[in-house]
Amino acid sequence: MTRRTILLIAAFISLVLASLSLYTVSETQFALITQFGRPVRTVTQAGLHAKWFFQSALRFDKRLRIYNPAPSEFLTRDKKNLVIENYVAWRIEDPSRFVQSVGDVPSAEMRLHDIIWSGLSAAFGNEDLDSLVSTDREKLQSTAILDAITAGSDRAALQQYGLSIEDVRIKRLNLPEQNKQNVFARMRAERGRIAMQYRAEGEEQALAIRANADRQKEEILSTAYKEAETIRGKGDAEATRIYGDAYSKNPQFYKLTRTLESYKKILDDKTTIILSSDSDLLKILTKGQGAAK
Amino acid sequence: MSVLITPPVPTATPVDPAPPSKSRRFRHIAWYVLALWLLSGIYIVPTDQQGLVTQWGRVVEPRVFPGIHYALPWPIDKVYKLKVRELRRRVVGGEIPDTVLGRQASSSEFFSGDQNLLKIRVVAQYSVSNPRDFLFAAQSPDQIVGLAVESELVRRAAHTRVDDILTTQKLAIQDDVLRSAQTVVDSYRAGALLASINIESVSPPPETAEAFRSVAGARSDAFRIVNEADGYANDLVPRARGQADQLLDQAHSYANGKISRAEGDASHFNAVAAEYRKSPQVTSTRVYLEVMELVLPKLKKLVVDANSNLDLSVIGKQDNSALPGTGSGTDGVPQR
Repeated sequence: MTRRTILLIAAFISLVLASLSLYTVSETQFALITQFGRPVRTVTQAGLHAKWFFQSALRFDKRLRIYNPAPSEFLTRDKKNLVIENYVAWRIEDPSRFVQSVGDVPSAEMRLHDIIWSGLSAAFGNEDLDSLVSTDREKLQSTAILDAITAGSDRAALQQYGLSIEDVRIKRLNLPEQNKQNVFARMRAERGRIAMQYRAEGEEQALAIRANADRQKEEILSTAYKEAETIRGKGDAEATRIYGDAYSKNPQFYKLTRTLESYKKILDDKTTIILSSDSDLLKILTKGQGAAK
Repeated sequence: MSVLITPPVPTATPVDPAPPSKSRRFRHIAWYVLALWLLSGIYIVPTDQQGLVTQWGRVVEPRVFPGIHYALPWPIDKVYKLKVRELRRRVVGGEIPDTVLGRQASSSEFFSGDQNLLKIRVVAQYSVSNPRDFLFAAQSPDQIVGLAVESELVRRAAHTRVDDILTTQKLAIQDDVLRSAQTVVDSYRAGALLASINIESVSPPPETAEAFRSVAGARSDAFRIVNEADGYANDLVPRARGQADQLLDQAHSYANGKISRAEGDASHFNAVAAEYRKSPQVTSTRVYLEVMELVLPKLKKLVVDANSNLDLSVIGKQDNSALPGTGSGTDGVPQR
């Protein structure tokens, strides 16, 4: 019985010691081992670890965090007000420095804000609005500005607070309410101009189409006139040739018949003709039968 | 801790006959509990999921595929299960309408490259690509995906013209943002894979909506004007072609008529001339007289003696057809 009791007590003591000296660190954590309040080492590897029972383990979340404060107003070099919402992706990098200089997450965020936002207002104040918002991609500087700020503030934050700044980005780019009205007015004017341009271009195109159609019509008709007159001329020429061929075989008879034919037309009831009694027509009448010979 | 409570090895079993039943029952229960504890390590990963196992907090199995598996029981091992294939939805730039909660749809304003403001709402869909990163690398992977998409959308919109965002560049923007936001998500090791970016709504702010509508109206006006001109041209040109055909037809029929008539006249003349040649004297007299018979009756005629001098004043008096005795051409031969 006594031996059994001793065994039980020994087991209990070893259990207590084990629970004091063994600790686990999860994948999302750092452990900072402190000895009577003084940090002695940082454990970054997850798993089961051992320490002295008089040391204690402080755990910190090492995952990437997002700091996303309310938008702030910035003034660009060309005196334009901008409301920019930035976010910062950051994590605790050096727990021992973090616990000594900052302590907890809200105050860490305050420090981040101080470092980064002063950098942002300096950087934006050095640029025209064009370098943040422009159809010309070459002019855009926002990525370069933010990269520079990320790099610069990361160095400072790590040295001073044990924080790592992974990224600083623009989440929203806007104007202050009072400036928006101006932009809306400008947008409306621009739309009006574009609407007018559409109409004018439509008219222009329509006029060109109509003029082209008129020209085609004129071309078609004049070409047709030319061909038609050529055809008529050829017809007339052919007819003339036929007449000429026929009549030149017997010009005397042609002259006789044609002259007589034209008498039919020339002489009408308004014509007075003076006939000599000696004429061929009347000779027989006036001179008798003998004159016919 | 429970590891240490493993029951003592059955050394004392045969001895101690006094309380045999009690200690044996205790031992039985202890074995039973141990067996149950060990069995509790069996777990199943369903078809649509993947598992991940940590031991004392450290990842030992980053990917466990569907099926039945074993891990050391609590508190040594811990099993996480994730629906990796499931598409998760994230609305960026405002809220989608929700009739249940009575929420109105809203969208946030974005700056376009030509310094216009536009309201855009985007829905991003993503799935888990790396369970380990998704679970442990970032505090809120879902928020990170949203921020990556939103910041890339801001950047993309800031160098695109407002008309392009509203019309032609929509698909290009979706593609570009998908690609660049994925780079951002990867740089944060968030373990998420973007499946699609969909611009759900893009519209000008209400203050300028009317002006944008008038542009659309102008565009359709211009379209209509051009269509009308096309209609005019489509009517005019074929009509002219028809007229041209008509002109040519008329010319052909004129020429053909002329030629036929000439041929007719020519063959008529030839026929008559052939007869004339047989007896020219008689024929010419006959033709002459025939014509005279036809012509002379209509005329006023004066017959004068071949040797007398003609008093021309007679003509002046005779000229007036209203004089008595000269009314009818046939009777008006005073000196017959």
